[in-house]
Amino acid sequence: MSIYDGLTAGKPAVVVDFGARYTKFGFAGEFSPRCIIPTQVICPSSRKLRWVFDYEDEADLYALLVTFIHKLYFRHALVSPKDRDVVVIESILSPTKFRDTVAKVLFLHYEVSSLLYLPSHLIVLAGLGLSTALVVDVGYSESQVIPVYEGVPILNAWQAQPIGSKAVEERLRKNLKEAYEEIKNAGGDASRVLKPIDLDLETLPDHVIEDIKVRTCFVTTYERGKAMADGIRPPQPPFADYRLGGYSVLRIPGEVREATYEVVFERDNEQSSLANLILESILKCGIDTRRALAENLVIVGGTSMAPGFKSRLISELRRLVKDNFYKPKLYISNFKMHVPLVKENVASWLGGSIFGATDMLPLRALTKEKYFTLKTVPDWCNLATNELYLSKLTLS
Amino acid sequence: MELVDKYYDKAEYVETTSGNKVSRQTVLCGSQNIVLNGKCIVQSDAIIRGDLANVRTGRYCIISKDAVIRPPFKKFSKGVAFFPLHMGDHVYVGEGSIVNAASVGSYVYIGKNVVIGRRCILKDCCMIEDDAIVPPETVIPSFTLYSGSPAVRRDNLPDCTQDIMIDFTRNYYQHFIPKPKTKDELV
Amino acid sequence: MSYLIQKEYVKYECTCGSLKPISKLYFCRHCLELRCGYCVCHEVDSHYCSNCMEHLPSAEAKFRKNRCNTCFDCPNCFHTLSVRATTRSAEDGNTKTPTKHYYLACFFCRWTSRDVGIPDQTTGTGNWPVKELPFQETLNSYLEYYKVLAMRERNLKEKKTYSSPLIRGYSSFSEKFGLTSMIARKRAGLPPLSLGGKENTQSSLPKIVPSVAVDDVEPLPDTYFTDLTKITTLSQRHSYPMLQAETITSLHPQHRHFYIKCSLRCRRCEHNVSKPEYNPGSIKFKIQLAAYYHMPEVRIMTFEPLKIGKPSEIILKITNPTQHLTSLQFGSLINSEERKNLKTEEISETKKEKLPLELPRPIRNLQINTDVELPQCSVILPPRDDAAEYDDSADTHNFQDDTKVVVWRKGNKVAVKMKITPQNGMEGGEESIFGFSMEYGYVNTMPTLEQKQPLRAEIQVNLFISRATYHLRRIN
Repeated sequence: MSIYDGLTAGKPAVVVDFGARYTKFGFAGEFSPRCIIPTQVICPSSRKLRWVFDYEDEADLYALLVTFIHKLYFRHALVSPKDRDVVVIESILSPTKFRDTVAKVLFLHYEVSSLLYLPSHLIVLAGLGLSTALVVDVGYSESQVIPVYEGVPILNAWQAQPIGSKAVEERLRKNLKEAYEEIKNAGGDASRVLKPIDLDLETLPDHVIEDIKVRTCFVTTYERGKAMADGIRPPQPPFADYRLGGYSVLRIPGEVREATYEVVFERDNEQSSLANLILESILKCGIDTRRALAENLVIVGGTSMAPGFKSRLISELRRLVKDNFYKPKLYISNFKMHVPLVKENVASWLGGSIFGATDMLPLRALTKEKYFTLKTVPDWCNLATNELYLSKLTLS
Repeated sequence: MELVDKYYDKAEYVETTSGNKVSRQTVLCGSQNIVLNGKCIVQSDAIIRGDLANVRTGRYCIISKDAVIRPPFKKFSKGVAFFPLHMGDHVYVGEGSIVNAASVGSYVYIGKNVVIGRRCILKDCCMIEDDAIVPPETVIPSFTLYSGSPAVRRDNLPDCTQDIMIDFTRNYYQHFIPKPKTKDELV
Repeated sequence: MSYLIQKEYVKYECTCGSLKPISKLYFCRHCLELRCGYCVCHEVDSHYCSNCMEHLPSAEAKFRKNRCNTCFDCPNCFHTLSVRATTRSAEDGNTKTPTKHYYLACFFCRWTSRDVGIPDQTTGTGNWPVKELPFQETLNSYLEYYKVLAMRERNLKEKKTYSSPLIRGYSSFSEKFGLTSMIARKRAGLPPLSLGGKENTQSSLPKIVPSVAVDDVEPLPDTYFTDLTKITTLSQRHSYPMLQAETITSLHPQHRHFYIKCSLRCRRCEHNVSKPEYNPGSIKFKIQLAAYYHMPEVRIMTFEPLKIGKPSEIILKITNPTQHLTSLQFGSLINSEERKNLKTEEISETKKEKLPLELPRPIRNLQINTDVELPQCSVILPPRDDAAEYDDSADTHNFQDDTKVVVWRKGNKVAVKMKITPQNGMEGGEESIFGFSMEYGYVNTMPTLEQKQPLRAEIQVNLFISRATYHLRRIN
């Protein structure tokens, strides 16, 4: 962005991407968010950290969001929220309750002038200059696959499974526990690898598990993954010593480091690995779009930043398509992947930022006045607002 | 909750004409360089290093047990130099805290077991939570609450912090009274 | 006592329904109502750097992306970096005179700018290298492209030239088959399909190079690192969203983020309830309507150990912070709904509610479980007298106090005795909570257009007092 843009542009809209774990926040027209912060707040009454997405009911979510958005504006954006436009990036599959409450908080509590929801899977393409792609979003709680063809999301082909960082972290905890049980049962000297010896892996806080995942785990190659699935133990990668504070040391065995991410790729009877999701989604699309989609894979979401993740995914896809199950149905010779210009976790945010800087914003955003007359947020799955939309279209 | 009376042993404390109450069990090095501006309390086993450089406090400063007030130094190519330490009015320093700051403003609350690194500047109306470690040369702005290691801003303080601190230190002074004589002593 | 370090025992009910200690409340003199952080409008007043205390007008702060020009944060532990100087002779050997070189160092974690190969600077303020976003050009071209695209759509909509026969035919077609791709495109935020005859406008679109899919993505390196000290943590990555360095060798210091001063505005009358001075070093306020300065403050002085079903005494200390004499009356809790009706009657005459939707009330999770016997008589509170603080002589006030109610009195402070009885069925460890309403006279000295004389008003406020858990049975 040139220097002058910053001065001439009036008030750029703020662009928020609420993630289950991390929220990306910044201004429209910029290519990198101002901050990425955990989507959690300190509960004012109990003084405990709470995740915004762990809300109990709507009133609870409202209170959590008020506190969280206050933090976003007054600690990070440092602008007054009043009379400023907001762009919220969300998944097409996001629950209506959350969507409505966000609108309620922004319009009632923060008195923003307008609000625009952008579908994350579609908008990510703006950051790549594409109009056709198979968008795979590997987030914290789940992976979502939605194909976009010539700028239109093919909604009936959506796929989602709860495989994301959450599953990976759960697996890591389980693997670590098993590894230590094994050492103990074998009569091995656990004190060398676990200090203090009675360290309870069950009570390790989530952020420590997350840190172990980020700093020690990786996604192994297809060949090794296959061997592990078949019960063969290939030679282990080196272990890593993880320090817990000043005195405790946790030795992460090489096997745990390698095997943790397998939860994303494991094929079971339900055919619910990430590669399966992608192929199932392609299968549901029109036959003339399949090739284009397979050759335009876009992988976004923070979980996909794990080392080796994409390379593994593409080789999984190439093998799986030759599998007896898909061979008669799918005739796809190759898969190709896009490399985003920014990091995967902010790719959707970038699309929203580009979109929010254009004239589309005043054209499509829901204004405060409109919200107060409608008293709800128009949504694609809400028939009340959609019929209105259709009838308007035919009239014009 | 109102403060409860805190009794001290009359024999242990010296009360000056300006109302300072200083324990005899303290280490006040270079006492000619230490200025307590009245109604201050220095409790047992506190250390004030006036021998290094001037130490000056305002009115109603409370220096709790085992606290260390030590003027900061700076290393130069030719050696080290110590700088005076100034403290404003209505400052509370908690038990076991070490203050190496260059200046501490007024209406400052420093919790227990805090370490304030050398040449820190604590502005007026700020608060450091218990067990925080403030790295050297940190500036703590007004109306902020710092905690952790390294200390980071955790929250903001209410707008009326100034009066809360005035009220707190005054109350503390008023409730810091000599132990009433027991019946045996009266007889 | 200090509200900074203690648990909040006494809570006031704000007009919005939330329960807050008096230190966090405001009193709007114009509406004569309590306000809290939840029901006022926050506004960013001034930006400043917490390290060098430089303060900037918001336009300039925006230009600098809310970051200080001179100060840096440590990318490793997020503490502020300090500039350090070393003296050494120039490396080329031509000049013998030693020159000063500067580098950045963290005094907490000992990280230095040399660790990541940032060259030393010859000036203290230094123009430290800045990281540029890769692919800036490409992204700019995308932005331009979508801007033109959006502009075109906007023009189309404004011109309303949609009703050409071709399009009309198309839309009737869409009616027949429901949701067609046309509508889907429109909803997805894309221009209508370029049908015949529209190609001529296409030329004005800037050319972009869309991303090209690749066959092979970077495979996992064969030698996978094990040294944890070399891999960054998530918070280190997220603190610099543009860079998100994965190894510590690629960490880069970032300019320090500004802090702000906030002013607060009453949502109903749009008057400020708090406005600080711009200077970050100042602790003074241009406008300060904190409740702490405007309404009687209630605190617990002492209380007897609690027993279920048995009355015990509690003594509350009440302080009048204002310059005017006031009298207090106690009553049972007022229903907030009732009071609201009362208030809305007043408002409907003067001003209509601005928002068509009701602001949701905060959830209250406080249950009254203790009965209280309140004093029936009113209690007079003399005004605050700053001079009296320095006067140690006995009080000269002569109030005809009921000694059963008023146990102690000094200056603008009074101690009031009440009897509380924990209700049956309270469990061990549960906090005993009782509440009552306090009515006091408030003198509004603010001159208005209509009224030059100070105005007296009766203000009612609900108080909730929580006491230590009853099984403790000790006085602390």
